[in-house]
Amino acid sequence: MFKIKLEQKERVSKREDIIITLSAIVIALVLSGIFIAFNGVNPFVALWKVFTSALGSPYGISETLVKAIPLIFTGLAVGIALNSKLWNIGAEGQLFAGATLATAFVIYGPVLPKPLELTVLVTLGAIGGALWAAIPALLKIKFKMNEVISTLLLNYVAINIADYFLFGPWKGKDNFPYTPEFPTEAKLSRIGFGRVHSGLIIALVLVILLYILIYHTKAGFKLRMTGSSLKAAKYAGINIKKTMFMVFLLSGALAGLAGVCQITGIEYKLHQHISTGYGYTGIIVAWLARTNPFIIVIFAVFLSIMLKGADSLQIAMRLPAAVGTVMQALILFAILGSELFKTYNVKLIRGK
Amino acid sequence: MSEKKVNSTLVLMKNISKSFYGNKVNTDVEFKLEKGEIHALLGENGAGKTTLMNMLTGVYFPDEGEIYFKGKKLAFKFPGEALQIGIGMVHQRFSLVGNLTVLENLILGHPENKFIINIPEKKKLIKTYMDQFNFQIDLNAIVGELPIGLRQKVEILKMLVREVDVLIVDEPTTVLTKQEADNLMQILKNIAKTGKGIIFITHKMSEVFQIADKITVLRKGIKISTVNKNDTNPRELAKMMVGKESEITFDRPKVNTIPDVVKVQDLFVNSDKGVLAVNSLSFNVAGGEIIGIAGVSGNGQVELADALTGNRDIIRGKIFFKGKDISNDCPVDRIDKGVSYVPGDRINVGVAGSRSVWENIIMKVYRLPEFKKGLLLNNKKLREYADKIIEKYNISLPGINLPALLLSGGNLQKLIIGREMERDCDLYVFVYPTRGLDVGATDFVRNAILQLRNLGKAIILISGDFDEIFGLSDRIAVMYEGQFTGIFNNGDHSLEEIGLMMSGQSEEEVAKEMTNV
Repeated sequence: MFKIKLEQKERVSKREDIIITLSAIVIALVLSGIFIAFNGVNPFVALWKVFTSALGSPYGISETLVKAIPLIFTGLAVGIALNSKLWNIGAEGQLFAGATLATAFVIYGPVLPKPLELTVLVTLGAIGGALWAAIPALLKIKFKMNEVISTLLLNYVAINIADYFLFGPWKGKDNFPYTPEFPTEAKLSRIGFGRVHSGLIIALVLVILLYILIYHTKAGFKLRMTGSSLKAAKYAGINIKKTMFMVFLLSGALAGLAGVCQITGIEYKLHQHISTGYGYTGIIVAWLARTNPFIIVIFAVFLSIMLKGADSLQIAMRLPAAVGTVMQALILFAILGSELFKTYNVKLIRGK
Repeated sequence: MSEKKVNSTLVLMKNISKSFYGNKVNTDVEFKLEKGEIHALLGENGAGKTTLMNMLTGVYFPDEGEIYFKGKKLAFKFPGEALQIGIGMVHQRFSLVGNLTVLENLILGHPENKFIINIPEKKKLIKTYMDQFNFQIDLNAIVGELPIGLRQKVEILKMLVREVDVLIVDEPTTVLTKQEADNLMQILKNIAKTGKGIIFITHKMSEVFQIADKITVLRKGIKISTVNKNDTNPRELAKMMVGKESEITFDRPKVNTIPDVVKVQDLFVNSDKGVLAVNSLSFNVAGGEIIGIAGVSGNGQVELADALTGNRDIIRGKIFFKGKDISNDCPVDRIDKGVSYVPGDRINVGVAGSRSVWENIIMKVYRLPEFKKGLLLNNKKLREYADKIIEKYNISLPGINLPALLLSGGNLQKLIIGREMERDCDLYVFVYPTRGLDVGATDFVRNAILQLRNLGKAIILISGDFDEIFGLSDRIAVMYEGQFTGIFNNGDHSLEEIGLMMSGQSEEEVAKEMTNV
């Protein structure tokens, strides 16, 4: 018999960190391969198909980028909260809250000139997400309620509120649950590469701004301190409650942007499927990237390759749609499991 | 005769030694418990009392030495085994399930439980124990809703139901009112009468004389002596607890003091548990003066320090700093006004351990205008500031960008003290500033404290180290249960007298005691 012994590691070097993360991804791909083989498809062919369909043609690349845009936003949303050790599982709900609030303006508000209309919509999207995130923030600060539970549960509430409007006052003419198509003034311009829209530019500008915020401002310093130790932050004179509240608002706003860019950039209307779980996939992105905004972009693209690839597996190889979800789940599972190797030296000992 | 002696001995611990990470917590300790005896284990916090008992209950293994129970050598395989053979311990933190009833808690985990439990039968059995020892508890009450005194009784009753021969209670009265404590002592005495042995861990002198038959005093992990209660007196025990007077002297030149830099009036502060920790305290501190606060830890010292520096809300009272009322200022305002705090918990409070060394050095100055660059922080200048402090205070570290928790204890304390000294404050509050440090770092810290005093700063020094208190303080206050049992000039009272004050006697009572002998 073998026994597993765990010894606390003092610290992990950057190199080790990267190697462990990459190995976890490789293990996840191998496991996905086994799963695919059980479905009667050659896993090597399938994995090859994943990457070629996502990156093998200009069309593939553009579609991958289209999926990466919301993932960058939700990745940033979860990531900024992780910086101060807060878990925002509610990006999905905040995405819907932002999209719903912006849609309300399209439906009830005046049609403004395009730049103004889009500015209003994007701002409302951010505000919608931030307001939705303010609820768990207040619950945490005032009543010490665990934010994992509250943000998660509020997702269902936000989605159901959107459903209420879609099946009620905003129902389309043909009685299907989607709004009429938005006027051209409310559509983000494309950047001239497939369906890639200017939401990408907003996302990338935010990446740079957030990097500066986290590492080069007083607010960022407070945020990092709060994330490291609440007691030490308080001792250093930081108002930890205020910091946590602001982080939640910012996080929600970013998720809200994912929603508004999705409806103004791709869908041109609000319906039930504007997000294919981008809020949840954003958690994987942020966890992989470890809070650095630039690395969030890299992993957002990586996961959108998976999403895009899984789509084509479904179409070209007749694999069930669940394959994509299973692959994502395996990646998250492997990454979470790999944490063990970052905090401990794992040793096998022979003995009884 | 000798055979009878063997039979009456319940526990024998021989030559027990235990270290944690190279720190000796118990050195060559011997301990014996007889049937029907209440044996007090007396010593300051950190004297090694709880560790010794944790070895008796199989939580830790001794590095050296042997433990015998009823004449048989013990070798535990798992911690639960102790309870099975008849050694039970009531910890300071109770191990009860809050949302079950008293009865369910008492039955839970009983080794005789079968798949189906005959509850009425168990209830009858438990009732007999309750009658025998005069317990009054509602068996159907939810444990989480009971007051803490009753919860403790449930804990003790649970041990009796398990039919333990040895009952260990770890500082049981800290959470109790006076009446509850008296009641508890009576119950323990009744239990001892049935032939069970009781080990009573405490640092309170009054309790020792109220309850114990025999007393073993531990100091710094070493057994000082075991005495019969009738052969000793509080003075002797206090002396054993605190040890010898220090030979170390520090050069304390006369400096011009600035009166009343700090004025505390009728201060009340709660502990984390919501119990009153600082009870109506009033005192002043002058600039250029070190006031040393001695006391067994857990008597409100840390809460006092937290309250003075804004890290804990106060219930009532006023704190004046340089003539201004700062009672309700938040930590950041006090930092800006010149209040500095070197906390006792270095790793968790003094630094944000997972952040880099340089970020921890600048964590109180980054807001200053000199480190601004437009809207942004001037990271370059902040790093230079950190470099300067590392050099000036001679902090050795593996790297300025690496997490602060990688620093050794001494260097971490140098970092904290360097950071605070550089800010040039008017009040410095030090809590256990040399605890766990090596000789070199200890010297550094003590010299830094003296240097600040000579610069005319007001200094509050909370310490458990008498060398430090006597060597550095201009005045000494002794803290006991949230109040000062004495506040006097350094030199007015001997260590022995301070030891008595630390165990709850007032300055006047001590004076009487000393003239009596």
